[in-house]
Amino acid sequence: MKALVVDDEPLARRELRRLLAAFPSVEVIGEAGNIDDAKARIEQLAPDVVFLDIQMPGGTGFDLLTRLDRLPRIVFTTAYDQYAVKAFEVNALDYLLKPVEPERLAAALHKIQAAVTHGSPAADAPLEQLFIKDGPRCWFVPLREVGVFTSEGNYVRLLWGRERPLLGRSLAALETKLDPRRFFRANRGQIVNLDFIQGVEAGEGGRLHVQLRDGLEIEVSRRQARLFKARSTVD
Amino acid sequence: MIFASQPWSKAGALWGGISIAGVGLTHVLRVLARRHGWLAMPPDALLGRMFAGVLVIATLAWWLTLELAQVVYDARIPPLSGVLYDKLSPGGQLRNVFIFQVLVHGCWVAIYLAVTMQRQRWRTQVSLQQAELRLLKSQLNPHFLFNALNGVRSLIADEPDRARDAVTHLAKTLRYTLAVGDEDLVSLERELEMVEDYLALESLRLAERLRVERDIAAAARTVRLPAMLLQTLVENAIKHGIAELKEGGTLRVGARIDGDFLVLQVTNPRPPGAPGSNPEGVGLRNATERLRLLFGDRGTLRLDASNAACVVAEVRVPA
Repeated sequence: MKALVVDDEPLARRELRRLLAAFPSVEVIGEAGNIDDAKARIEQLAPDVVFLDIQMPGGTGFDLLTRLDRLPRIVFTTAYDQYAVKAFEVNALDYLLKPVEPERLAAALHKIQAAVTHGSPAADAPLEQLFIKDGPRCWFVPLREVGVFTSEGNYVRLLWGRERPLLGRSLAALETKLDPRRFFRANRGQIVNLDFIQGVEAGEGGRLHVQLRDGLEIEVSRRQARLFKARSTVD
Repeated sequence: MIFASQPWSKAGALWGGISIAGVGLTHVLRVLARRHGWLAMPPDALLGRMFAGVLVIATLAWWLTLELAQVVYDARIPPLSGVLYDKLSPGGQLRNVFIFQVLVHGCWVAIYLAVTMQRQRWRTQVSLQQAELRLLKSQLNPHFLFNALNGVRSLIADEPDRARDAVTHLAKTLRYTLAVGDEDLVSLERELEMVEDYLALESLRLAERLRVERDIAAAARTVRLPAMLLQTLVENAIKHGIAELKEGGTLRVGARIDGDFLVLQVTNPRPPGAPGSNPEGVGLRNATERLRLLFGDRGTLRLDASNAACVVAEVRVPA
């Protein structure tokens, strides 16, 4: 299991490295002292797990996650920010309190080991989940649970259950990373999750009206409607 | 005038007796009020009880006046003269004696109540202020504490000497925050000593990212200032300045005397995109409020973020 240690304090990085040295299954492949370095290392080294401090120069550990496409397993390490980490009610994350107890570390590693042996997706595989920070709230959003992505200027609003989090990317940038078998560009401003579609009706001028699971209706533009029909007949 | 044509000894016996009775009766009322907690009651309930008390006292005093007059003058009504009594019928004179008693005792009780209430209010205010000060007193940030402990743990194996020093700094810092718990003001000298221990621990954490410059005027060292005030400024400058910068920066701590004031200045480089002026943190807000409670208008804390390159926190307290 490849691990990356991210903390702005050299002593804290050293201490965690020493603790991790006791686990033969873990290989520390690098470290970073701020979130820019951390992003580069994660993209370059593709670690299985990242031990991530929260307060760092240039941005918090949460900020780092919002900038990543491929999310490794995350274990937050914090001196006193456990309340911030606990705020993730929906997708609970693991966290370790510094100074770290070796027993707690062993338990966290055990949990991750199980997940990692399932195998990591290939580097060019489509996105499966995103970390979204909208104001004070944060989520890990599994993309298959998102019904519609709607463009809002340079941002994208997600329709995800009862939540409507705002993602800090453009719809065009997001589209290239989504799974084309699951997501379809319905019109200029919207991408729809095909699994959410319940019914399709023909509209004026070759457009289509698509009914979604939550009673929502979306219009498929004329150009995209042709693509949509072609797909449907092939499937 | 009232006693015109009356021998002083008799008037003295009558009015002396009435006065002693009045003092005694109001004293009984006071004891009652205290024992039954009337003073803690809502205003209406308190006033009702006091008014009833005054009526009872006035009635008793009135009866006593008449009885005393009987003894001293062998007459039902004391032979008074003056505008209130001359030319009045005996009934009118009796009524005026009663009104007189109500007024005298009413005034007495009203003054007693006013003074007691004022005293109570004053006491509440003082204790409120003390409680506020206690709340505002800054404490060590737990984040700092646990990070320092983690640093010490990391040093123990490789650099035991540095680990030992760190424990000493930590012990001194903790001792200071516990010791000044009961004091409002300490000398700058003593506060500086603590700040040095604090900085040594922060250096452990931030390593070469934290550089410190000091410029302390000798005359400033003896001035007394709120405990933990300089520490709060330094902590704030590190948290929002140095620690936010990848390369760190230089923290400047200055103290000088300016006329009748001690001026403390803590300067930190300003990270890009850092918020502008107005003290945003709880620490600085509490410090500002504490200065106001201790010194009124003469104690101020100002955060100057007009410069793009650095932020200056300045405190002025009476020297």
